[in-house]
Formats: sequence, structure tokens, C-alpha cells
Amino acid sequence: MVAGNGLLRIFWPSDAPRNKNHGTIIGWRNSPSDVFVITILQDVEPRKVEGALRVGTLFRDSPHPIRQMYHLCGTSSMHVLGTVNPTVHSSAFDPGHLLAFTEASRSIPAIFCPKSCNINVQVIIFDRPSPHRMQYMSLSPISLSLGDKSLGSNVASYSLGGHELEEEEERAEKAKLVEKLKLHTVIKHSLSQKEHLLPTILAQINCSSEIAALLSKNAYVLGTRQKRSLSVSEKVVESATTLRDYVIAVVWHVITVWVYPLLTRGFVIGLICHRMVAEVILRVLEWRLRPDSAALKDISATAQQVDIRLQQFCYWPIQYLTLRKRKDDWESVTDKHPDYIRFYNSLWLVANDVIIGIALGSYIIDNAPWVAWQINTVVNGWTVEGLRDMILWLTDWPGGLKLNTELASFLGDLFIWVIDLWKECVSSLQPLLPHVIYFIGFSSFAGATMPISMFSDLLSLLTVHIYCFYTASARIFHWQLTIILSLFHLFRGKKHNVLRNRIDSCDYDLDQLLLGTILFTLLFFLLPTVAVFYLTFTSARMAIIFLKAALDTSLACLNHFPLFALMLRVKDPRRLPGGIFFELQDTPSVFPHFSDPKDTSPTSYVMLKSVPLSLRAMFDQYFQLGHRIRNHYLSPSVILLLVTGQFLPPIHRKSLYSLQYSMLPAQRASVLEAWQRLTEQSPPITNGFAKMPNGMTVHRVRRG
Amino acid sequence: MLTMRPHLTTLRPSPTTVSFTVSTASRRETLASQFLHHFLLGLRIVFGLTTLAILLAKSFEHFKYLPHFLSHEIEKAPWSHIGPLSFASFYFVFRRFHTEESLLTLRSLGIQTSTLSNSYLLPSNTRFIPTSQIRDILIHEAFRGFEVRYYLAVVVEGEGEVVVVFPNLLPGRAIVEEVWRSARECLYEPKG
Repeated sequence: MVAGNGLLRIFWPSDAPRNKNHGTIIGWRNSPSDVFVITILQDVEPRKVEGALRVGTLFRDSPHPIRQMYHLCGTSSMHVLGTVNPTVHSSAFDPGHLLAFTEASRSIPAIFCPKSCNINVQVIIFDRPSPHRMQYMSLSPISLSLGDKSLGSNVASYSLGGHELEEEEERAEKAKLVEKLKLHTVIKHSLSQKEHLLPTILAQINCSSEIAALLSKNAYVLGTRQKRSLSVSEKVVESATTLRDYVIAVVWHVITVWVYPLLTRGFVIGLICHRMVAEVILRVLEWRLRPDSAALKDISATAQQVDIRLQQFCYWPIQYLTLRKRKDDWESVTDKHPDYIRFYNSLWLVANDVIIGIALGSYIIDNAPWVAWQINTVVNGWTVEGLRDMILWLTDWPGGLKLNTELASFLGDLFIWVIDLWKECVSSLQPLLPHVIYFIGFSSFAGATMPISMFSDLLSLLTVHIYCFYTASARIFHWQLTIILSLFHLFRGKKHNVLRNRIDSCDYDLDQLLLGTILFTLLFFLLPTVAVFYLTFTSARMAIIFLKAALDTSLACLNHFPLFALMLRVKDPRRLPGGIFFELQDTPSVFPHFSDPKDTSPTSYVMLKSVPLSLRAMFDQYFQLGHRIRNHYLSPSVILLLVTGQFLPPIHRKSLYSLQYSMLPAQRASVLEAWQRLTEQSPPITNGFAKMPNGMTVHRVRRG
Repeated sequence: MLTMRPHLTTLRPSPTTVSFTVSTASRRETLASQFLHHFLLGLRIVFGLTTLAILLAKSFEHFKYLPHFLSHEIEKAPWSHIGPLSFASFYFVFRRFHTEESLLTLRSLGIQTSTLSNSYLLPSNTRFIPTSQIRDILIHEAFRGFEVRYYLAVVVEGEGEVVVVFPNLLPGRAIVEEVWRSARECLYEPKG
């Protein structure tokens, strides 16, 4: 029983009937002082309902075992909780049988509870999510990515610079602080049973709509209704419908027994053949020379794109079968809903990709000579001729800057020889370019991502020479800088102690000092010349890196944009729960139904609503991607690396584009497993239509 | 005049459900402030409707119903002027000038912090913390610029950061202490 000064918590659906009719409240009783109202059956006696609940007549013709529902809701039985608008008014309060009063003009029920009981009443009114439309409530935001691989560890294992390590350290430090914070709590409140119940209650909310529908469908059992024989016209209608039903049943039988199995078997065999081919290609793409060396898909964007597509094709049948399993259970089971969103999101993205790809491909094929000519101009004009002109300009006092002519012309000649060699190579490949363009054009019928990734690979191939120049000039620049630094120490009469890793003072001889100083001066005056070359190649390299990053980002958008989720957010925000929130309602001070209108316990009315997923959470992975790119290319340590001429490693594809794999499982199912899953005699295939009580078949409507 | 020092409003329909709201909105106790409030409301409505009318007139090229001096100007002005201006106008029409933050405590369920967004169009930013995740509620002090501020914080199980209640307003110690006392009293069932 409710203890003195206790709390009576009532969950009340917002769509419960509001008229003045007499009714019986049915629901779960989680504890004597914590009740959950499922539905109100009007104009029936509580005693009859109690009996029907015990016998189970109210759960007749349930589409799935009612036990599962009990299990979901974490209780063992349903109860009559009380009466709405009772005809006989009792003045004593009984928590086992509540008395509520509703009125059409008021959205909230009045609960009878006199002040003398010393009980606080908390009425929580919730909007029932409709399981048929796949709405549900959840404490934690729905996850749009597949959570079987942690992104954090991925980053750590491919960390390149010091800043990632620093971040890791910070995280560890914070974890320690959190541990310490636990010691600060002086009094530990042991949680009461009511406080643990919140997840169960959310499950009950999610289930309530379906149970309420079942109960109200069976409510006719309770009423006293005379059986009346059918009239002549009704009999005619009935026989006509049965005849139609009979014809449909025969046709349906032929289709299900003869045609359908044949088709499915052929389809499954086709899928498995495709799966085997995909397995071979995936193995090739994943093959590594040594365990630590890069696989093909880590180097090339095209290979990675093919890998993603094939993995998606491998995952879809499994995902679809999982979704089909949903129909074997109550619709209120919500754990498959994120899978549903993910599956249709990836289907939609691929379809989108193909549509854009067809448009792009037909354009490229129609204008192949022009596109080839354009690419040729860019490649030849900018990366070969432009670079050559730039080097020539640098050797000739650029912008009035008096560089060292001899060194500049030496370096310039060196680079120009290599450029000439490269130019010969490129020009011998030039006749092939239109064919390459045709190939790219045709490949784009497999999706716009293919030409983009191929273009990205082509770009890295055609700018290999710039990468080489960058490496060479960076090496020279770095050497010179190091020498200048150590000579500067000599100039000050100090030297770098390698053993202790510090600067010690040192007594140099006069000739050592003299020679060192002369060399220092020489190198110092030659530094601008080398720096100018280094700057040129570094900026070219950075431009290429940013171009590739832009291409890869567009790939990520085409492969992973949460299109379906965005559409759902607009269409039906309750399908994307991002948490719950409570809204305190105004409490009426007077309840006119009670014998003593003023005599009522303190009652609070709270609305429970679902918060839709925020846009920020939807694009969370893009924010992570942006953060990683910023960390890798715009952090101070990277700028220091650039200034001192040390080699800047390109960001690892895997750590950058883990985003694209976030909708795929870490371990794909093997061919054998896929075969077993596809051929197992799953009931949903033969039982796609749920049998309804009166022999009618009801089509399950696909929601989208 | 429009805003004032943060002040606390407590709504307590029952001892187990308490809502604390700290707001900088003017309480409108004096006649002058009431007048100002209604005047500003009227101004907002007039501004909003005018902007809407101008936009409609411009997009349908139909200037008959606008006042003469206005229609002449608008017919001449290009979209590149009207667009940003009407955007700015709508921004100020729907702009909320006061800040309001609240804490809702529900015994046996949890607590919920919420901050009203600074536009009347956007939903408020709420965060619900179930009781099972609340480790503690405490008042702590922090340096902010050259002053020490007392703030109410909720330590959440398994999270690296505490949730600060009233994060933007950071009301003074008197308010924070009062909220802390009644929130603890409301949240946990009495012993015994």
C-alpha cells in the first residue's frame, strides 16, 4: 500500500476518451503506487473486465503471443486499475481502485484523492507513439550509424602527429578526474524501485497503442449483444464476397505453391553467385603484401569506392532478412527501427548515386573530346607548362627579389630536366586520354561516385612529379635549416649535446669558429633561394591535397548523407526519437466532480513528449570528419612541420573516411553464412499476410 | 527596461514536482513597464506584417495596396536590398530579448534542464537526466573573468562533464542555494 506522504504516479494516455461516460481503466500496475493506464473501456463493469482479463478473452485473436508483450513490458499481468466517472461515488480512497473523472472540456483527468490520505499525485500524460507508423520513444537518441566498431580506437591506431596523442592523454586525464569525482559524493542514494523503472515505462508507452487496439477490438465480448440472424441482403453480400475470396484464394495458391518458390530460388542463387564474385574482388582489394603494409583500398579512392559498394551489396540481403523478421513479432518491438532507417537510407543513396551518375556519364560521353581537351589543358597547362614557367621565373629574380642566381639556375635546371622527362611520358599517354574519358563516362552508370573517385586517382597519378619535387625540395630545405641552426650554436660558442639533449657551451678553436661563421653566413644568404623553391612546391602540394580532400568529402556526401533520416525528420519527427522531455501543466485548483471540490491532494500534471533528433546529432559524423581534417592539416604542429620543411604525411584514408563505413558491419557475413540465412525456411516468406480472426487477410502496408 | 536582473519563479503544484525558472524578463509590475511591453508587442506585429506585405507585393509585382511613398521605393529597390532587409526585420521581430532557463524536478523520474532559444521560432533546448543517472547535485564555484561565480551542477553517471544548470544566466548564490535545497528535497524520497 502507499505509505504516508508517498507518491502516487499515474501514466495516462493523452488520447483516452474524455466524455462523461462511465468506464473501466485497464493497465499495468508496476507497484502499488505506480500505475500505467493502457486504455479505458467504456460502459463496462470493472468486475466483468477483471474476469475477462483473468480468463484471457480480451486477448483473443492477438496477432502474436501476448506473453511476448508481457515480457516486453516487464510485468506479468494486466489489471483493472479503477473506474472513470463512477456512478456510485465512494468517499474512501483506495489506491488499488482509482477513481478518475474526465470531462470533454478538460484535457486532463481529475484523480479522486482526498487530502487526508497524505499522498502526492503525479499524473504524467503521454502521447502514444503509433507502432504501426514506427514511432517510438527512447531515452537515448537513435543511432544512425552501426555501432559495432568504435571510431575512437580507429583514430588512435592510425594517429600520426602528436596532437592525437595529446588528445588521448587528455581523455585519460579526464577519466581519472571523473573517477575522483565519485569519491566526492558524501551520501549515496540507493535507488528505489520506482526510479529504476523508467526504461520499462518507456517500453510500456511504446507498446500501449497496440495493446489498446487489441483490447478495444475484443471489448465486444464484455457487452451484452444479441445474436441476430443475417438478413437476406446481407446473405447475398456475404456469399458474393466468399465467391470472390474463393477465386482469389485459388489464384493465390497457384502463385505461392508453383511460381513463387521457383522465383525465390532463382533469385537466391543469383544473389549467391553475385556474392561469390564480390567476395573474390573484396579479397583482392583487401590483400596486403605484409600485415602492416597498405592494401589496395587504402591507396586508391576507386578501389575504396568499389569496396564500399560491394560490401553494401553483401550486407543488404542480411539486413533485409533481419527486417523481415520484424513481422514475426509485435510492431511495438522497436530495436529494429534504426536498422530499417539505415537500410532504406543506403538503398536511397545508391539509387540517387546511380541517377546522378547516369546524368553525369551521358554528359561525359556526349562531350568526350571536349572533356578530354579540357583535362589535357589543365594537366599539361598547369602542372607541366605552368610549373615550368614558374621555375623559369624563379631563376630570374622573381618580383625583384635578388636571389642567388647561380644556385637558382642550378636548382631550376634540375627541376626542369625532370619536368621535361615527365612531359615526354605524359605526351606519350596523351592519345589514350579520350579512351580513359570514355571509360570514366561508362563507369559512371554505376554511380556518380565512380567518376569522382577515378578522377581523384587520376589526379594523384598525374601529379606524381609534384609530389617528388615537394619531397626533394623539402629535404634540401630541411637540411639547410638544420645546418644553419647548428652553425648558429657554434657562432654563439655553444653546441647541441646529443647525449643529454640540451645546449652546452663549448670552447671552439679560432679556425673552427672562423670557418663555421663563414659557412653560416653563406648558407644564410642562400636560404631564401631554396625557400622560394620549397614554398612553390609546398603550395602546389597543399593545393592538390585540398582538392583531393574536397573530392573525398563529396564522395562521403554521396555515400553517407543521412537523406532518409532528414526526410523522416520532416515527415514524422517522432520516428527519430532523440530523448524525452517533460512539460509541467497548469493544475486546476478546483475539481467540481468531488463531493468536496477543494479537498484534494497536491496533484501535478506533466506532459511527457518525445524530442526529435537534432540536426547536430544527425550530422555528428560529418562534424567528426571536419574535426579530424582540421586537426590533421590546420593544427599548429602541422604548420611547424611545414615551416621547418619536414615531411608532412598524408592523412590515412582509413582514419579519415571511417565515416563511409559507419553503416556497414565491421565483419561481413561469409558466403556460407549468407547462403544459410537466405535458404533457411523462414516463416515470413510463407506467412507474409497475417491471419485475421474472420478469415480475412490483411495486407501489411509498407511504410516509407 | 526590457530585461532585469535574473529572478527566480518557483512553480510547485505538489511537493514532488517543482519547476524553477530563472528569467531576465521584466516582471511588468509598474504601469510603465506594462505599457512598454504592449507597445513593443504592437511594434513587432506591425513590423512583421509590413515586411510580409512588402515581400508579397514585391514577389507578385502588385503595389496597389501599399502606401504611395512605400510602393514607389519598393518598386525601384532590387531584391538584393529587400531580401537581407526583410530577413533582418524578421530576425528582430522573432527575436527574444530575455533569457529564460529552467529546472524541472520530478521525484522518481529525474530532472530536466531547459533553456529557451533566443528566437520565438526555435524550440527550446532541453536535457532530461533520469534519476538513475544522477550521481549528485552540487553547488560549485568557478572563475569567470575576474569574478567568482557559484553555479549549480549535476554530476551525471558515466559522463566526463557535469551538467551546469542555468548555464547562461548563472544566477547569484542566493538563488542557486534556494534551488539546490528545494531540488534535493523534491528529488529524493524522505528517509525512514
